[in-house]
Amino acid sequence: MFNILSTDKNLGFFLILPAVILLLLLTLFPIIYIVYFSFFEYSSNVDIPHQFIGLDNFKRLFTDDAFHNALSNTLFFTVVAVSIEFTLGLGFALLVMNFIEKVSVIKTILLIPMMIAPIAVAITWKFLYAPFVSPFNDLRIRLGYQPLLFTSDVKLAMPSIIFVDIWQWTPFIFLMMLAGLASLPKEPYEAAQIDGASPWQQFRDLTWKFLQPVIIITLLLRIMDAFRLFDQVFILTRGGPASVTDTLSYYIYKVAFRFWDIGWAAAMSLFMLAVTLIISAWFVGKLNVEK
Amino acid sequence: MLKNNFKKPIVFLSIVFAIFYTLFPFIYMISVSFKIRKDIFAMPPKYFNFEPTLYNYWFTFFDQIPFFKFMINSFIITSVSTIAALILGTLAGYSLARFRYPGNLKYHLSFWILSTRMLPPIVVVIPLFLFFSFFNLVNTKLALIIAYTAFNIPFVAWMMRSFFLDIPKELEESAMVDGDTRMGSFRRIILPLAKPGLAATSIFCLILSWNEFLFAVILTETEISNTVTFAIALGVTQYQSNWGYMAASATISVIPIIIFAFIVQKHLVRGLSFGAIKG
Amino acid sequence: MKIIKFIFCILSMVLITNFTYAAKLTVIVPNGSEGDGLRAASKDYTAKTGVEVELVQAPYSQVFDKAANAANAKSGAYDIILMDDPWIPFFAENGHLEKMGKYFDALGVDGPDNDFLAKSMALCRDPYNSGPFICIPYVGNAQMFFYNPGAFADAGLAGPPSTWDEVYAAMQKISGSGNFGYVLRAQEGNPVVAQFMPIFWSFCGKLFDENRKATVNSPEGQKALEFFLKLRDVSPPGAASMNAEEIGQYLLQGKAKSSINWPNWVSAFEDPAQSNVVGQMSYASIPSGDCAGSSEIGHWTLGIASASKNKQTAFDFINWATSKEQIDISAGRGNPPVRFSTFINPDLTSQERLRHFPVLMAAINYSTPRPRHPKWPELEQVFGVFLSKAVAGTMGPKDALDKANVELQKILK
Repeated sequence: MFNILSTDKNLGFFLILPAVILLLLLTLFPIIYIVYFSFFEYSSNVDIPHQFIGLDNFKRLFTDDAFHNALSNTLFFTVVAVSIEFTLGLGFALLVMNFIEKVSVIKTILLIPMMIAPIAVAITWKFLYAPFVSPFNDLRIRLGYQPLLFTSDVKLAMPSIIFVDIWQWTPFIFLMMLAGLASLPKEPYEAAQIDGASPWQQFRDLTWKFLQPVIIITLLLRIMDAFRLFDQVFILTRGGPASVTDTLSYYIYKVAFRFWDIGWAAAMSLFMLAVTLIISAWFVGKLNVEK
Repeated sequence: MLKNNFKKPIVFLSIVFAIFYTLFPFIYMISVSFKIRKDIFAMPPKYFNFEPTLYNYWFTFFDQIPFFKFMINSFIITSVSTIAALILGTLAGYSLARFRYPGNLKYHLSFWILSTRMLPPIVVVIPLFLFFSFFNLVNTKLALIIAYTAFNIPFVAWMMRSFFLDIPKELEESAMVDGDTRMGSFRRIILPLAKPGLAATSIFCLILSWNEFLFAVILTETEISNTVTFAIALGVTQYQSNWGYMAASATISVIPIIIFAFIVQKHLVRGLSFGAIKG
Repeated sequence: MKIIKFIFCILSMVLITNFTYAAKLTVIVPNGSEGDGLRAASKDYTAKTGVEVELVQAPYSQVFDKAANAANAKSGAYDIILMDDPWIPFFAENGHLEKMGKYFDALGVDGPDNDFLAKSMALCRDPYNSGPFICIPYVGNAQMFFYNPGAFADAGLAGPPSTWDEVYAAMQKISGSGNFGYVLRAQEGNPVVAQFMPIFWSFCGKLFDENRKATVNSPEGQKALEFFLKLRDVSPPGAASMNAEEIGQYLLQGKAKSSINWPNWVSAFEDPAQSNVVGQMSYASIPSGDCAGSSEIGHWTLGIASASKNKQTAFDFINWATSKEQIDISAGRGNPPVRFSTFINPDLTSQERLRHFPVLMAAINYSTPRPRHPKWPELEQVFGVFLSKAVAGTMGPKDALDKANVELQKILK
């Protein structure tokens, strides 16, 4: 076997093979299953077989109001949450990059939101958002205001969920940006300073360009995860009030596990997959993977 | 880059604010874990004037839920899947960084690897349940290990690929000229340099495996394979949830991760660095 | 060859590290007092008969997820399911529950004995109240009206409430000065529907008629929803996202003085570690509107999975766990009983924390079951969305009911 391995040409192939096999193993059957059932009306009844309905589940993508609602909620959430997280993460990283190196324990502390189990994060924020139990609302009441109904007010519910996501995931972006900034080469900046470039110009022409790879990967990962938001909705709002926080993943969960309309859930999942693939393709294209 | 003198206080203040904002909910959760039920829901809230109790922690470990067993399960599942993901992912990343592939294969392959992370877990869990049932792997630690390894590989592969791209090819090439094999030079030269990358990436893998909820609930049944995250969720009942217990178990559950993070914190930044100029 | 040996090693490792169910019976239960009660009982059963009983416990929502998943996969992973009432039609009408007729015949009886309350038994027949038995009742839940008689007496209502009008007048007096007369839960889906149904029924509303056509937007339904919204006005703000948890909180803290809730909460009210109102709460039947008040019945029942491989053993266990002795013990553990003799057992009713038994038994006897339809989870979810919107104020009551009717009709086809 080692003869094969030491040939450089084949070595690359064998190095990546185990990973590919494992991924294939776990994704091939689910994809086949999902594609297969998207053409059927799933039946939970032992006496009634699954009914082939062709493209009906896909046609429903155009007509189902609940689906459209979930889709627009999810898009809104993704765009707003990731933009804010990115701005804060990058901004803060730029601000503190020189100082924080010396005190790495601060980095670890700032990462704590990411380390707590999402279910515990959601529960904690449930308390922090409650009308009378929350310290925030307690402060408001003492100052003479009405408590804010973070998770019950249709206007506040989605921002509340976004805020929790920001709290939890900005550290991730912060860390990635910090890493990117730490590996910036010094010469271009020295040259720029000699040329009299302003800090803003340095940022725009040098930093922003150098950080492209990090930014792309970070944004991509965050967007993929934000698009699939489930945990917070499940615990904090259950898609409410009045369905304003119903996200795609939560809606699919209801359709799959409560209504057992697997075919419709499958069609929606394929849609989600397609959207994510398109967005990622655009991002990855900018990364220049040909090597 | 910016070297203004009055910047220092601003930076200092923002760091302090960031720490407060980060830790406040966390400390709140810990405080809940020390309160009796009546105080947890006190309207208005009781900040410091409550009688602390260790009941919730006692309940976590010594009441009906076999929390110790769950922690051991989590330890095993998380560490094995993280190590497996690191190994498979790093080799894959190295392959993508250093080797030539025919035609456009490299682009498609790396994209495909990334795309496996895009499926919403909600729907994937049903066919995977069938898949694992077929092999009689439901309610085993192995099923979760396999699943979490697969979840983590894309991230590891992409991170390590970028990391390897940063390391000049010349290092291996000169070693090979001196008579070493490719894998030998990988082991002796590249891998030690890659430690920061591995350390940083491992944190994210650990967090994902340790805290994962959906698969841990659907693919497990009993204490043979239940995890700590599942244990926390057991606090939720249809009528009233045992918040004190959930806060206590969540606090305990986060401690191992924090400890690990402290151990590797030196590498956290170096390890995620990217080729600034190269891609 | 080396590769074959390698594969063999992997396979045997997989098989060795895989612990298949060595237990004879596998039961899926929720966490909480129902599951804990059954767990304790199963330990006694194993000691008595040597049959191993393995309990799979999961958070409430996931019990349905897992049981339905296993049923659809026909995996036989669970022999017995401890089902909440709203799930029964799904499992029963889709053929996932074993009909118990032949097991009762083998014992020489028609079905469960007459000590079970009639309404409890009716739930376990498919079709409702007439068909063969597909489960045996285990925990006797029916909603009760919880109220603080002291607060209501101060507001002018002496004695247990009997009509919504008189109760509402008192609630209005209580609301203001930081307290609330009522606490409403309106989270979309099961929470709001469970809260709404008793009121819907007490205004003579019907979810669907004999031909299974949706009739929620009847004039009775409108009246019910309008009253429901009036209850919201005397309740703490944020009803649109509240569930049983929040109702309990407000009642336990003493900030709200009444609500409709499940009997499991009674023990919490009497526990000083949880409650600011120990000894102050009382329980009554649901007040009446134009029709008699009726609570929603919500029993937990034990059924045998049709894919189970141990059906006779499962039946024996279920029969034992619902016997008089076991139900008495279960009631002592805090699970509302399903047997008449348990409800009047002086050893139990003399206990302070079980003083609600007479009210609960009456509530069960006058209760109404949730409509039996295999798509009930979907119906409940959809209906719940519109009710929640009405409470949140994003939809007018008439509009909400009309739209709900249309959507429900689509599901009922």
